[in-house]
Amino acid sequence: MNATMTAAGLVLPMAEGESHFPPTPGDFWQPLFAIPGTEYYFTRPMLLMAIATGLLMVVLFLTTRRAAIVPGKGQWLTEQVYNFARNGIARDMIGSKDFMPFVPFLFSLFVFILLNNAFGIIPPFQNPTMARIGFPIGLTLIVYVVYHWVGLRKAGGVGRYIGGMLPSGLPGWIKPFILFLELITFFITRPLTLALRLFGNMFAGHMLLVVFIVGGWYLFKTFEPGLMLVALPAWILGALLTVFEALIQFLQAYVFTLLAASYIGGALADEH
Amino acid sequence: MDYTTIVAGALKAATEEDHSEPIGAGEGAIPILPYMPELIFGLIVFGIFYWFVKRNIVPNLEKAYADRTSAIEGGMERAEKAEAEAAAAKKKYEDQLGEARAEAAQIRERAKEQGAQIIAEMREQAQVEANRITETAHKQVEAERQQAFVQLRGEVGQISTALASKIVGESLEDEARQRGIVDRFLADLESGAITPEQLGARDEVR
Amino acid sequence: MSGDITLLGYGVSTIGPAIAVGLIFAAYINGVARQPEAQGKLQPIAILGFALAEALAIFGLVLFFIAFFVG
Repeated sequence: MNATMTAAGLVLPMAEGESHFPPTPGDFWQPLFAIPGTEYYFTRPMLLMAIATGLLMVVLFLTTRRAAIVPGKGQWLTEQVYNFARNGIARDMIGSKDFMPFVPFLFSLFVFILLNNAFGIIPPFQNPTMARIGFPIGLTLIVYVVYHWVGLRKAGGVGRYIGGMLPSGLPGWIKPFILFLELITFFITRPLTLALRLFGNMFAGHMLLVVFIVGGWYLFKTFEPGLMLVALPAWILGALLTVFEALIQFLQAYVFTLLAASYIGGALADEH
Repeated sequence: MDYTTIVAGALKAATEEDHSEPIGAGEGAIPILPYMPELIFGLIVFGIFYWFVKRNIVPNLEKAYADRTSAIEGGMERAEKAEAEAAAAKKKYEDQLGEARAEAAQIRERAKEQGAQIIAEMREQAQVEANRITETAHKQVEAERQQAFVQLRGEVGQISTALASKIVGESLEDEARQRGIVDRFLADLESGAITPEQLGARDEVR
Repeated sequence: MSGDITLLGYGVSTIGPAIAVGLIFAAYINGVARQPEAQGKLQPIAILGFALAEALAIFGLVLFFIAFFVG
């Protein structure tokens, strides 16, 4: 794969001649051009993310610019999504007392991940940005900092914050073990799974789609009648899996936001 | 391969610079190691997006929510107010109606009283009139009787004279003499010298 | 036929989380069938449980990557 690509290649998926079968994790490495003065490349997922974010900003801005009491179609749609993130995730997980400060964060997290995921099946992008682990790690870092910061501020000190992780009513001798497990959960398992879940689902889902669709194409390209016949069910399955992938994409955006909200809610809760 | 070698290998891959490429770059890179430009770019883009949403989107939507809530509540308030007003108006009308009824009853009462008074007055007047008429009638009767009495007195004279002349058989032509006899007779009659009984049933003319 | 035994290992390791996810959603469906009004309360719990079970499969994927690319 060449770093110097034509302008059309900036957004479009890899040209057919350059792809190979079966797909490998290396297919997700799609550099566009070198960032001047560094050894780094500006990659295609970065461009897609910028496009997705710009698109989201424009749509959200246009639909809520004149937010009316009686919503229009666009505003109604935005409100449905906003309602879902606000009441379905933030309020349920954090509690109606102090969820409001986190609503912008959780809402932007949800729609941001949702559209970036959806880019995995929307032509001509067809590459989920979250299949590059750098992006989920970035988001997870933010969530990580937010829920630890909130918990520290609530507990009012590092010692009390750590102590608050212990469930109450434990016999004394078991406390160190539980504390150890809780520390691992809080500082390692949670961020690790949060980032890797999103990445893994997008990565594997996209690989699966590529296997069926590009694989079908390779079968078709042989021009042998038997293999060409097999290509058809492969594409049907590919189409079905695309629908399934859409569900997964939504679910992963939901799960990521839900877990972020639940971590924040857990850090804010009075009792552990 | 055991767990420790895996971790050691991962750490080695993460730190080693043997293929002279940054972490996560190239087709041969481990997919679970982040490519730094992507991580930083993602953070920046999400930061911008969050700032945008917090500043432009959420306040608008929350304002629409609040407006909607207040509109609904305001509508309810207005409805309650209208209801209260209607109730007040109804009460007022009922009060007025009651007053009007009471007034009407009063007026009727007064009218009845006045009517009774008028009737009484009329009755009194009628009584007075009747008394007056009776009085007048009595007076008239008295006058007629007097007149009849006077007339009768004349006629009685004539008839007595005629009767006397017939009985006596002589003509009493001398009027003065005649008058004298009659007057004397009447004077006797009035003085009681001659009682009507003595004259027989002639007195019953009157 | 060629390949890597770690891939096979990862395939085997997904059996556990797969069963776990199945059990979680079976319980969720049961709960909703018995008490439809509890759906709102059960759904986040089911999704959380699903996410936790899925984390194990993801750990497997990570270990597979490490073993495949490094080992």
